[in-house]
Amino acid sequence: MIALVERLWSGFMPSLLAGMAVNFEIAGIAIALGLALGFLMAVARLRGGMTGTAAASAITLMRAAPTFVVMFFLLNALPRDASMSGVMTVALSLVPYSAAFVADAGLDALRHLRGGSALAALQFLPNVMRAFFVLVMSSSAGAAIGVGEGITAILHEAEQLPALGDRLILFAIGVVAFGVPLQLGFLLLRLLQRRLGAFLTLGRAHS
Amino acid sequence: MTHWRRFAAAARVALAIVVMGACLPAWAREPLSPDAALAHLLEAARNAGPEACAAPDADRLVRIVCTGHIRVGLRDYYPLFSMRVGSIRKGYEVDVAEALAARLGVAVEQTRVNAASRIPLLAEDRIDLIIATMGHNTQRDSQVRFIRPHYYRSETILVGPRNLAISGWNDIPGRTVCVTIGNGSNANLVSRGARLLLFDEAGVLPERLKDGTCTLAAQDDSFFAEIFTHPDFADRFEKKFGFAQVPWGMAVQKTGSDKLARALDLISQIFHRDGVFLELARRHRIATGFLEEQQKVWRSPACNTANGSTDPHCILPALNARLEPTSFAGAVASFEDWFSAATGIDLSLPMLTTVPAWSLLLSGIGNTLILIGGALLATLLFALGIGAALSSPVPPLRWLAKGIVVLLQSSPIVLTLVVASAIAHALFPFSATVAIGTAIAALGLANGSNAGQAIAEAEMTLQLERAAGAQVGRAPFVRAVGRSATQIVAFLINAAKGTPIASFIGAPELLSALTDITSFSSGRATTYTLLLIFYTLVVMLVVSVCRRLQVLLESGRAAT
Repeated sequence: MIALVERLWSGFMPSLLAGMAVNFEIAGIAIALGLALGFLMAVARLRGGMTGTAAASAITLMRAAPTFVVMFFLLNALPRDASMSGVMTVALSLVPYSAAFVADAGLDALRHLRGGSALAALQFLPNVMRAFFVLVMSSSAGAAIGVGEGITAILHEAEQLPALGDRLILFAIGVVAFGVPLQLGFLLLRLLQRRLGAFLTLGRAHS
Repeated sequence: MTHWRRFAAAARVALAIVVMGACLPAWAREPLSPDAALAHLLEAARNAGPEACAAPDADRLVRIVCTGHIRVGLRDYYPLFSMRVGSIRKGYEVDVAEALAARLGVAVEQTRVNAASRIPLLAEDRIDLIIATMGHNTQRDSQVRFIRPHYYRSETILVGPRNLAISGWNDIPGRTVCVTIGNGSNANLVSRGARLLLFDEAGVLPERLKDGTCTLAAQDDSFFAEIFTHPDFADRFEKKFGFAQVPWGMAVQKTGSDKLARALDLISQIFHRDGVFLELARRHRIATGFLEEQQKVWRSPACNTANGSTDPHCILPALNARLEPTSFAGAVASFEDWFSAATGIDLSLPMLTTVPAWSLLLSGIGNTLILIGGALLATLLFALGIGAALSSPVPPLRWLAKGIVVLLQSSPIVLTLVVASAIAHALFPFSATVAIGTAIAALGLANGSNAGQAIAEAEMTLQLERAAGAQVGRAPFVRAVGRSATQIVAFLINAAKGTPIASFIGAPELLSALTDITSFSSGRATTYTLLLIFYTLVVMLVVSVCRRLQVLLESGRAAT
């Protein structure tokens, strides 16, 4: 047990943390692209007409496309000369989800802004943060195509451990490693929502 | 009595034959040796005369003897077998070509070939002989005339870290193995429950092993032969086991090469017997197990004859690489042609053209539907169970449920699946059913815990309303389910969308099936496009059904 912990601490933890950095990188790229695309679609939907209908259809399709399948599609169906890194492939596979999410949340925010409710519109920020954490968790799909992210590091270490008990300890460490930033993120989210509420309430009182 | 007379007569005849045989000279008693047959064949070719050399229908053996050189197709880059540095090629196959030519009494004229060009160059009469790492399979038997016995045999080997205990197929189910697309042995790995990680080029596999992306890699042993000469690689990795042996054959044209083929058959036989192939292989440090086996075979009196190379007991069969076509393969091909002509898009439907691919596709679709149905049901049941536990008046049950929810929310779905798979494999032997069941349970738990939390939160709001004096009705839990219908439906849809991830733990659903199909056939772009369309439509259907369920749940809430 002590030997296992020592081994995990010295060899595994650095590679896990390096891998998790890749998860955050993938999520960062996906949310940035999702914000750009999603915002455009939200504006199109708000304007209505043919463009709005097209945007609504695109959002419906994006919501329905499973990330894992999109990832394999990007990996296999794109022309050879359009080759991209594994990290970029996973990030792009998450864009349909993030763009659809941003489009929905953005549309709500724009409608609230039009309606004069800035507080409701600002809910867009914590919603985007929530989506970011979902993307961090979803980016672990990259393990299936050989991207060196957190789950890949865990699985690689697990392959070296013959005993189920040792592997379960390793998986528990993995859950904690992913869980801590996630729970901290949600805590931050709640704090942000309170601050925003307080700030806007205060602003309203002064005006 | 009659029987005894017949028996005695037969015995006398047999004795007479034995006595006569014993009186014959030794050379007449023994079958003609391969050396004598070869000498006879070469002598006839050399004595053919100038008119035979100029004859358009002259056998290539005569032509080669006349011109004084044999045109051999060799590879430019295949470490240890044929490597060109500047204008000089080195390797086992290069030396084999030189040794064969020396035996024929001619010089070698080397021509560069690769896997795609070797057979066309032979067909165009630009080379006389291929010695270019070509596996002998039944498909190629219709294109070229292979020389028997084979000059080498490769196998697919599984390579992994030295400290990883893998001794056979029983250790493979559920493991990820890095392979190259189109490798004929991929189907073996799939059938043993391995997960494939596909790469375009074999060249990247050693690096992927080193950086930890691949724990195991499967590739031809001839490819790894050179890699294992690097101490840094050999210190860390080793061959675990080999499978899918493929004999390598030299080949000549099917027409106009009968005598040349016969001469090369005899030379190959002699080279095996006398250890020439073995010596050349040792010189280039390639695996010699097969050549040692062959030397024993060709030294045995039964095979060391002029007809040994045609004796099925002495030679190896070609690898049967033919995939049985489906009954509608012709119609599929016609449709592909029509579609390409009409749209300009190159359409390839490998999943419909061969029986193995078609059966994989059907089982993949069936398993996917089972998986989606199971995941939806499991999500709903876990949601109700966890929701009830979180709302329970019994504190330990509530705490346990809370712990499970936090744990599952903190775990990426891939990790949840892997943990579930590890536990399942510890309890049951690997099978497709176990993999699908495990995936259903993991997806149901992950999504059901979130939906259950929504139910508990809805129940809490109902309790607050009741405390404030509102009329809640007789079945608060049912009302809570109705109130959280939107959340439940959202997680049901999420469960359906998550089902392709089950392929990660070896569940043979459609993504997994199509990955397997594309590992031994072409048409990846079409295949994965169709896959994306299929899953998107299925999820949209699930969304539509779930919306109806939502209406049902909400109307149920209204009724209570």
